[in-house]
Amino acid sequence: MNVPMKRRSWPVAAVAALLAVSACTSSGGGTSSGPKPSDPPAATARPGVLRVLAGSELQDLAPILEEARKATGVTVQFSWTGSLDGADAVSSGRADGKYDAVWFPSNQYLRLDDTGKSKVLSETPVMVSPVAVGVRSSVLDDLGWGDGSKVSWAQIGDAASAGKLSYGMADPSRSNSGFSTLVAVASAFSGAGSALSEADVQKATPSLKRFFTGQKLTSGSSGWLAQAYTRAEPGMVGALVNYESVLLSMNKSLPPEQQLTVIRPLDGVVSADYPLSLLSSSAQRERDSFQRLTAYLLKEDVQKRISEVTLRRPVAPGVPPAAGLPSDRRRELPFPGSRAVADGLLASYQNDLRRPSRTVYVLDTSGSMEGSRISALKSALGRLTGTDDTRGVRRFRNREEVTLISFASNVKWTKTHAVPASGSQPGPETELASINTDVQSLSASGGTAVYDSLEEAYRVIGRQQSAAGDDRFTSIVLMTDGESNVGATDGDFKRFHDGLAAWQKSVPVFPIKFGEAAVSQLQGIADVSGGKLFDGAGSLDGVFEEIRGYQ
Amino acid sequence: MRRALGVLAALALLGGVTYALIPDGKPGAKRATVVGLIGSEKRAFFENPDVKAELAKQGLEVRADSAGSWTMSEQAKDGSGLDFAFPASTAPARAIQANWGLQDSPLVPFYSPLVVVAHEPVAQVLRQNNLATVDDSKVWTFRMDDYVAALKAGRQWPDLAGSSAHPELGGPIFVTTTDPESSSSGAMYVALLSYILNNRQVVSDQAGIDASKDVLRSATAMQGGQKSSSDEPFKDFGAGVGNPLVFAYESQVAELALRGQSTGDMVVLYPDTTIYSDHTVVARTENGRKLAGLLQDDEVLRRLEARFGFRPQASPGAFAELMKDKKPVFAPDLTAAKVKQPTVPSLDNLTKLIAAAKGSKK
Repeated sequence: MNVPMKRRSWPVAAVAALLAVSACTSSGGGTSSGPKPSDPPAATARPGVLRVLAGSELQDLAPILEEARKATGVTVQFSWTGSLDGADAVSSGRADGKYDAVWFPSNQYLRLDDTGKSKVLSETPVMVSPVAVGVRSSVLDDLGWGDGSKVSWAQIGDAASAGKLSYGMADPSRSNSGFSTLVAVASAFSGAGSALSEADVQKATPSLKRFFTGQKLTSGSSGWLAQAYTRAEPGMVGALVNYESVLLSMNKSLPPEQQLTVIRPLDGVVSADYPLSLLSSSAQRERDSFQRLTAYLLKEDVQKRISEVTLRRPVAPGVPPAAGLPSDRRRELPFPGSRAVADGLLASYQNDLRRPSRTVYVLDTSGSMEGSRISALKSALGRLTGTDDTRGVRRFRNREEVTLISFASNVKWTKTHAVPASGSQPGPETELASINTDVQSLSASGGTAVYDSLEEAYRVIGRQQSAAGDDRFTSIVLMTDGESNVGATDGDFKRFHDGLAAWQKSVPVFPIKFGEAAVSQLQGIADVSGGKLFDGAGSLDGVFEEIRGYQ
Repeated sequence: MRRALGVLAALALLGGVTYALIPDGKPGAKRATVVGLIGSEKRAFFENPDVKAELAKQGLEVRADSAGSWTMSEQAKDGSGLDFAFPASTAPARAIQANWGLQDSPLVPFYSPLVVVAHEPVAQVLRQNNLATVDDSKVWTFRMDDYVAALKAGRQWPDLAGSSAHPELGGPIFVTTTDPESSSSGAMYVALLSYILNNRQVVSDQAGIDASKDVLRSATAMQGGQKSSSDEPFKDFGAGVGNPLVFAYESQVAELALRGQSTGDMVVLYPDTTIYSDHTVVARTENGRKLAGLLQDDEVLRRLEARFGFRPQASPGAFAELMKDKKPVFAPDLTAAKVKQPTVPSLDNLTKLIAAAKGSKK
């Protein structure tokens, strides 16, 4: 877009940016009823309202919380974020005074930080669900795994490395289900009887690499992972790793051929116990609300109902779990006991264990981007080249291939960088600095040819793939602040996409809406490619970081 | 936090004034609000309508937040706005007293021994391998010396006869506790192990710490991430997840049984040597002292304490009477069950033992 436009203050005020960072994972998850995820928490506490920073999977508690409101007079007002990001918000003090409580699948990661630990006054587990593997029934038969009740992580790892089992799993640096899976497989493969140490992780590295060759889908949120599983071509993705409750709930709406058999591996699981946690910074009135709410949620009849509605397991010992939840027990694999081990495991997943990524950024540098917008873009992308990132939540990973395409009326330039593997000389810092140099050289001028440039991105990927013949998570990010007004149209793009090879069709595009971007065009691109639309209006930094979970 | 404390202080002030104006005990009289921090294991007690009614009759309304005992002593550092703190053992109580500059000896209205809970089939595996015994009245005993020997030797579940039928039994044999840095039951476990490891002597010097530190460290490290209050591992156990052996207060199980809740196949194993959790009220204000006195001396409250699974100091038979026909089976008389009770090391030594167990540099 090269039409002159009104300038407004950009980026937005610091408070709003802060909010957007913590609430932004929600951009795609807010279709169901209940509070809108992007609702900001009340600036100040209100009587009878408990402001809760929570994992978006708790949306399924809406009917229970409505009943709780009637019974106790306490309204829960949620803001959504990922478990590990939520832990950061608590540790850093960003949750103080803004929220009264936090509610994530697990507080294990939060508790490994002394400051984080001191910010939580009390924790009450409300329900339990182990992380499990949901395997498509036809795949289960091919593998000869019977009803799935006698399968170990070792068997799953063998099937994955033999190319017989491909699966989707959420990004462990963001999502508790992904992190729990990583802990479970690392424990199982290292033979560590007890909690993991750095040495155990080392020992398990070869088997972990083999296990992760089977991971074909990654995601920053479990909602999108489920969608991606549903739309994947038959045979592309045979399994999903997620909470038992999520897998069983998915079965309610999946067609027969996509039904999942839930495997809780025999050699052990890591379970989430959903502790409703009161923050030390909360005021007395909110503490009273918290006590009323937790007392209600633990009542036997309510526990029974929670299990029936959510397919999680009750924590009250006398209450039977809902029908369909098997009662045989599994060993609980211990969670790492230190932040260093936990972060080390995450960093090695991102940089060494997982399949590497091929990531293409299609960046609008048309005239309208001039000034604060291009500065915001440079800053957001530049952050991904920084090395101050202990658990691998942001920066371009070792072994990642990153392509930047700068476009306006046509593609201005295309530059590709390969971040070296761990242990290479020179190390990743040199290449990251070189990516940042390209980022800082972006300059704004010209019109907006969105579709032409996007088609070029697919061609770049085609060339890179056929030259390297490698096996990578491949995705495209499209950032634009305007409507496509030069070159190919949306109809042209659909025809182009239809003509792609099957593997290229499965490359998702993650468009970022910025400035006066045409939402309908961008949503169309996300839908056609199986991607997901992100909103960069609040904080471009936050959105670029969030998308890392999908790359 | 400052704002929260402001609110607390305002409430306490209001409570104090109200209390001064209205004589207690009269029906319909206004009540003094007493604000404090309690261990999570006492929350159900303070939320009970009968407890509230009796306290109200005596002119008090208690508002309490639950927290791990050590978290509590951290939170209570700036005591303004708090009338009392009610941790589950003497060590954090001493720390809170020190913070508040109190010299009196705090009351211990009731106690509860620390026990190991397990599912019955797992207890049977322990019995088969001489790690536990069960007597004619079906009271289970957990053999501490043999357990500590197993810990030292890194004994694994698959080494035990009869374990193969249970897929949940894998890896090393250990008891899961709360985080000793934040919760009293975890700290009591450290105290208990240190006593056994120090040749059944309460650790009172560096030599005692040195004698126990390696096993304490491994018994803690193998648990991995620990939860911060006793409620959590116990709830996980109830939900059928978590480690097969969990360190808990007897009162947590008793309270469930007395509420008529099914406890499934849960059994209570009494360690042959164990620490009693002395629930200690540290009272900072007049109202706090009044609450402490009532919890110890009020006949109605004492009966209610037993109903919540605690053993009231002043009514030794009350607990046994109530638990007579309940499941799981409880030991009616701890002395008769020959449960030995070491005292807890001094606060200073306990802090050092906990640091050794956590591998922290203190």
